[in-house]
Amino acid sequence: MPEISERASVDPSAQLASDVVVGAFACIGPDVRIASGCVVENNVTITGRTLLGPHTHVYPLAVVGASPPQAEAPGECIIGPGNTIREHVTIHAGAHDGPPTQVGQDNLIMIAAQIDFGAAVGNHGIIANCAVIEAGAVIEDYVRISAFSVVHADVRVGAYTFVASWADIDHHAPPYAMLQGCPFRVRGVNSHNLKRCGFDEDDIRAIKHAFRDLFDPHRGDVDTEALETLRQCDDLNPHVLRLVEAMALPAAPEPVGAEDA
Amino acid sequence: MPELAVIRDVAPEASIAADVTIGPYCVIGPGVSIGPGTRLRRRVTVTGQTTIGAENTFDDGCVIGCAPQDLKYRGGPTQLAIGNRNRFDKLVTAHIGTEEGGGLTRIGSDCVLMHGAHVAHDCFVDDEVHLGRHVQLAGHIRVERGAVIEAFAGVHHFSTIGRHARVRARTPVRRDVPPYTDFYSTNPDIQPASVHGIHRKGLWAARLAPLEEWELHRTLLELFADEWALQTRIEHLVNIGVEGEALKVCRFCQRSLSGPFGRYREALRGQPPPEVKAYYASSHTDNIGRSR
Repeated sequence: MPEISERASVDPSAQLASDVVVGAFACIGPDVRIASGCVVENNVTITGRTLLGPHTHVYPLAVVGASPPQAEAPGECIIGPGNTIREHVTIHAGAHDGPPTQVGQDNLIMIAAQIDFGAAVGNHGIIANCAVIEAGAVIEDYVRISAFSVVHADVRVGAYTFVASWADIDHHAPPYAMLQGCPFRVRGVNSHNLKRCGFDEDDIRAIKHAFRDLFDPHRGDVDTEALETLRQCDDLNPHVLRLVEAMALPAAPEPVGAEDA
Repeated sequence: MPELAVIRDVAPEASIAADVTIGPYCVIGPGVSIGPGTRLRRRVTVTGQTTIGAENTFDDGCVIGCAPQDLKYRGGPTQLAIGNRNRFDKLVTAHIGTEEGGGLTRIGSDCVLMHGAHVAHDCFVDDEVHLGRHVQLAGHIRVERGAVIEAFAGVHHFSTIGRHARVRARTPVRRDVPPYTDFYSTNPDIQPASVHGIHRKGLWAARLAPLEEWELHRTLLELFADEWALQTRIEHLVNIGVEGEALKVCRFCQRSLSGPFGRYREALRGQPPPEVKAYYASSHTDNIGRSR
């Protein structure tokens, strides 16, 4: 039997695995499924059509699967295995007719971070305190997002990228990069993270060469000529190819009402 | 105990003084000790090996004493110690220490922690400190007596904020902040934050003797007229024999210069810092929370 506090409010139609722990005053809604090994601490709210993967730990006062504003029906929220969701975090469920909010595996989502409806977070990421992932944004694997950063709606942040604190990610961000500023600039290659993730020296050198051609750390725009030259190269390093492909993504749509401003 | 007819979840092992007020939906864990006159409003969570002194106020949604966000934390019985007469506003969070950092997070007395402030693992916050809204302290930080950190500022781990210093709103603090200074960046995206003058209110709050205050004022003016020449200016001031608080400020700056990235405490990685050792020496528990 799951270990549910007698003061918790768990809907009888919620599906909880046999070894789930639920703390006092936690509220678990009817369409929630919680896999084995999960710990839901006190005062946590889990609503919507939410799936909590195995061995996920939700700390006090977090809200998972909350409905987006003006929702007509509860949306879907899929949390993968091994995530840590800290105090005061809010993860919204997807819109009822839109894609679900997805969080991959082994992420650490720190205090008061917010993930909006329809956002997709990859695997092994760290999202620091008070960071905001807006609706529909895509965060790839091994991304580190520092405190107070904002990833705008429908923006994609490439894998292995480091986002400095207070950064404003208002358009697609390349993989392997270090980003800083408001609006952000590419400040260099996140070689520390690449080494940790087992990239060899040749790959890192190739990525650094490509970055030197493509980005000026003092300017926000990309060198389009260098990008075209790289695109026409036949024997590109696979990681550089991934970088070039990421640069070719169509821009995120302008937010509604931006043209009036 | 108070006669509030509310539901709350208080572990019977917790040591709670007789006149503590505990609001509805509060949860108190077994390792917690709360001193007299403390008030917990609604939905406050206190867990871990947490000691809270007298006459503190915890507003709605505070979470005190949870496990650190440090990936190196192995689940040991580390501590959080909070002094007396502090005011914790809504949604404030404070974590217990980690084994490597000395196992203690400390918040002194008479502090104000405003809405959403966060004190991470192994921080050592002295008395009369003011943390503004959503101020996020990373791990292993020392905030010295009377420092003021304004809203949305973030402090890098292993930094030290000096006595009566002022960190302005939305400042990214990535190195030690010297005492009695006004620390900010005019353009945080391009320029790293630095000293922009003297925090005069802090200078008055320190209540120094007039002569000592005058010497400190002159020392601060000379030290930070040109921060690139800080090393030579410290040497010059020590050579001419400044005393008291002025000498302490010189020593603080010298220490910060010696640490990696301008952070003295970075050099103490992996060992308990001296003030934690002093706290254990003066208190009744050792570094894993056992009573002596």
